[in-house]
Order: sequence, then C-alpha cells, then structure tokens
Amino acid sequence: MISVKNIYKDFGKLRVLDGVSCDIKDGERVVIIGPSGSGKSTMLRCMNLLEEPTYGEVWIENDLLTAPDPYLHFDVIRKSKTYSSLMKSAKAAAPGKSEEELDTEIIAKIKKEDLLKRFEGGEYSKALSEINKESRIDINLARRNMGMVFQHFNLFNNMTVLQNLTLAPLELKLKTKEEAEKTAMELLARIGLEDKANEYPSRLSGGQKQRVAIVRALAMNPKVMLFDEPTSALDPEMVGEVLELMKDLANEGMTMVVVTHEMGFAREVADRVIFMCEGKIAEEGTPDEIFSNPQNPRTKQFLDSIL
Amino acid sequence: MDFLSKIIELFSTEKYMDSIWEGLKLTLTISILAALLGLVLGVIVALVGMAKDSWAMKLPKLLCKIYITIIRGTPMALQLFIMAYVIFAIRGFPLVITATIAFGVNSGAYVAENIRAGILSVDIGQTEAGRALGLTGATTMAKIVIPQAIKNVIPAIGNELIALIKETSIVSMIGMYDLTMAAKIIGSGNNMASYIVPMAVVALFYLAIVYLLTFGIKLIEKRLRAGDKR
Repeated sequence: MISVKNIYKDFGKLRVLDGVSCDIKDGERVVIIGPSGSGKSTMLRCMNLLEEPTYGEVWIENDLLTAPDPYLHFDVIRKSKTYSSLMKSAKAAAPGKSEEELDTEIIAKIKKEDLLKRFEGGEYSKALSEINKESRIDINLARRNMGMVFQHFNLFNNMTVLQNLTLAPLELKLKTKEEAEKTAMELLARIGLEDKANEYPSRLSGGQKQRVAIVRALAMNPKVMLFDEPTSALDPEMVGEVLELMKDLANEGMTMVVVTHEMGFAREVADRVIFMCEGKIAEEGTPDEIFSNPQNPRTKQFLDSIL
Repeated sequence: MDFLSKIIELFSTEKYMDSIWEGLKLTLTISILAALLGLVLGVIVALVGMAKDSWAMKLPKLLCKIYITIIRGTPMALQLFIMAYVIFAIRGFPLVITATIAFGVNSGAYVAENIRAGILSVDIGQTEAGRALGLTGATTMAKIVIPQAIKNVIPAIGNELIALIKETSIVSMIGMYDLTMAAKIIGSGNNMASYIVPMAVVALFYLAIVYLLTFGIKLIEKRLRAGDKR
C-alpha cells in the first residue's frame, strides 16, 4: 500500500528523519510510538507529502509521490558522470578486479559520500525523468486516497459540519450535491451527530470535532487512513469515543497508520508496532513482541517511562 | 458671540459654501478612487508576495518587496511630489489622476501588508487539512483560508482607509483644491480673515466622514463575526 524508502528529512540543520524505510501492507494496522521529537509525526506527514522528504521516496502502490531519488536507482547512478569517471580511475588503479566488483564498490562509495551533483549529464537526467514520467503521480490525486486526521482536528472553521464533509467531494467533482450530502449525513449518523450537521465547529466538543474530522476524511472513501496523535489534544473523558470510532474502522479492515501515545489502543488494534527514536526505526514487531519483550534498550526505557 | 456670528456668516455665504462643497467633492473623489486602487494593488502584491518560491516568481516577488519597502520607507508628501513633478510632469495631465495614483500606490503597500498578516493569522492546520483532502492550493486558499482571513483583515483595512482619507489633505501641497485647502482659502485675509471658524467646520466634515466609515466597518465586522457563534 504505502512504501517509504529510505527517507531523510532535514529542517535546516536539524535531521529529523534519518533514513527510515517501511512498508504498510493492504489492510494492515500500524501504530507508531516513540518519545516526542523522535520523528514519528514527520514520518506520517511524509507519507502524504505534507512534509516533503529531503531524500528518499514515498510510493503508494505503483505511484511515486516524491521526486525520484537517484540514490535509490542503481541504473540511474550508473549513468552519471561521477560514476563513469570513478569507474575509469578505479579500472586504472586496480586492473585485476572484475567489473561487477568495481560497480558495487563505486555505487556504495557514491551513496555513502553523497557524490552525485546537480548536473550529471544528459543520460542521467533522461533516466530520472523517465522514472518521473512512468511512476510519478500528481500529489493532489494521491491524497484523495489517503485520509488524514490531525492532532488539532483542523475542521474548517468557516463552514458547518455538513459543509466540512461535502467540501472536498464537491470541489473535486467526485459527487453531486445530493450524493455528497447523503453520504455525509450517513457518516454523521454513524457517529451520532446528525443533529449537529448545521452547526459550526466552534459549537462542538473536542471529541465531537475529532470524530467529525475522521468522517470528513472517510467521506473521500480513502484506501488508507493516517492518524497524527488523534487523541493528544483531547480531554481525558473524550479520548474513549474517538478511540472507539478508530477501533470500528480497524475492524472494518481499513488500512491505518496511527501515531499515538495510547498504548492500550496499540496493544489491542495494531498488527505491527513501530518504535521510533532519534529519527530512526529502533524496533518493530507485533504488539506482544514490543510491549512484553522489547529487545532494544531504548524501547524498554521508553515503555518503562510511560506505562 | 463673534465666533457664532462667524459660523453663521460662513454657512450663509454662498461662495464659502461652494468652496467647501468643491473641496469635499475632491477629497472624496481622491479617497474613494485611491482606496479602490489600493485594495486591488494590495491584494495582488500580497498574493504575489506569499506565492511559493519558484523560478518564475522570483522577479515578481522581488519587485513586490522593493515596492513595499520604498513606499513604506518614504514620506507620503514626497511620493506625491514625485508623482506630480517627475512621473506625471506633463502639461495638462489631470491632477486628480496624479493624486489618485499617488495615494492608491501608497495605500496598496499598506493594504498588502495587512492582507499578508491576515492570511498568516489563519492557522496553518486549516491549509494542511484542505491539502490533505486532495484540494489544490488555490482551492484551499479560496474556500478555506481567505474567508477566514477576511475577518481578521477588515479592521486593519478600515484603519488604512481612515488614514488614507485624512492623508489626502496634503494634495493642497501640489495646488489642488480639497477640503483642507478650502478652509485655508476661506479663512484668508481676502475672505473671512479668520482661520478658526473654517478650520473647525472642515474638521467636523472630516470627523463625520471618518465616523461614518468606522460605523460601516463595524457593521461589516459584526456580520462576518456572526458566523463564529451561530
């Protein structure tokens, strides 16, 4: 479903993601945990490109969301001027070695030392734009299939609850007004808020806002839902209703990626738990493996501090 | 009693009243036209200034920056002189247009900054939520951000309009006959030979205009804010 390939994210001089790769399978529920500042939210936001990775690629099925990263395509590296000049000098220096051996060495060296420059010749640019042409998808198109739920709900304050739900389907001409409103009312009925359809978000409680935000994403019929700390800004008594709705979604087989501090939810719902630390995936496994028998001392330390 | 009789004299003398009407007409003409020009310019400059950095936008963005810096960094009177005696120093070129352009261009820089501040005051989360649903940047701006920004911008734009109306009084410096100039002429030795009365009357005219404008802005603000509590 989603493939994150070796992404790095720098904010100025600060490296927030330090080479993260992960695959989210169809129907899988993945929960990402970790201390604050570990890059878990950034990684989630990279998945729908709200944050653009500095290096690396993000794929949704067979569609490439980011610009192609030359370091991930060996055949592109081989077409660069840097590669050919390194190959030439390596051949002269060690005439005995086979071409394959040198190839592996040079590619490893280029990747490690970040040797590719902006202009690497026509062949190289052509190879990159070839990948672009073949796989790159318009980000706005890709985002239609990815629902996102934010920590601070981000309901549109200038619109009623119903308009919040129908805006995107109508603006993108995916539904007629009647269809969109019918779906929206069904979704609101599902969370028991039909009577709030014509209220403005400022009149809702935090828990209600977040549930509306979730069904707003569902109104687009997404294939995957991304949750960015959906309960962190809620009063404790409202956390339950939001988690309940998320569990329902999970039971329906929705593919979900959830960044959260709700360990109970992770244990109950997750197929896989990813522990992130200092911009890297420190450990991943089933909830049982992570919570009962963590291997990495950092995981252990983190779990001890919060449980 | 002398003061009262002078007031009666002013209001009952036809040529004095004609002067005031003439001046009022010019002040209002320049204010309204300049405000419109300023708003249009301000919106364009604000949007260009806030556009994403890209190769094609580099030059327009730089020009907008220079424009705002120069306009806000130099006195209005000097800008008016430059318009009148340098840029439009053409015999027979209507001074009203010169003044309108001078004030409109000046106002535009301030309006642009107000609009920019208004757009920035809308939580970035609103934009992110729009984009995450697959809406384009332009749609998100038009349907979500700008409607919310307007509420925050109206008071600041109102201030700018008020400042603009009062600032038009300096057109007398390039020899135009506005409300302030009318007061000065009526008060001069050839006419009433007293400044206090015409000045006070004209001050009341300015006050009335500004008061009406303030009232209108409050009304608009109230209607926009009604949505918040519905």
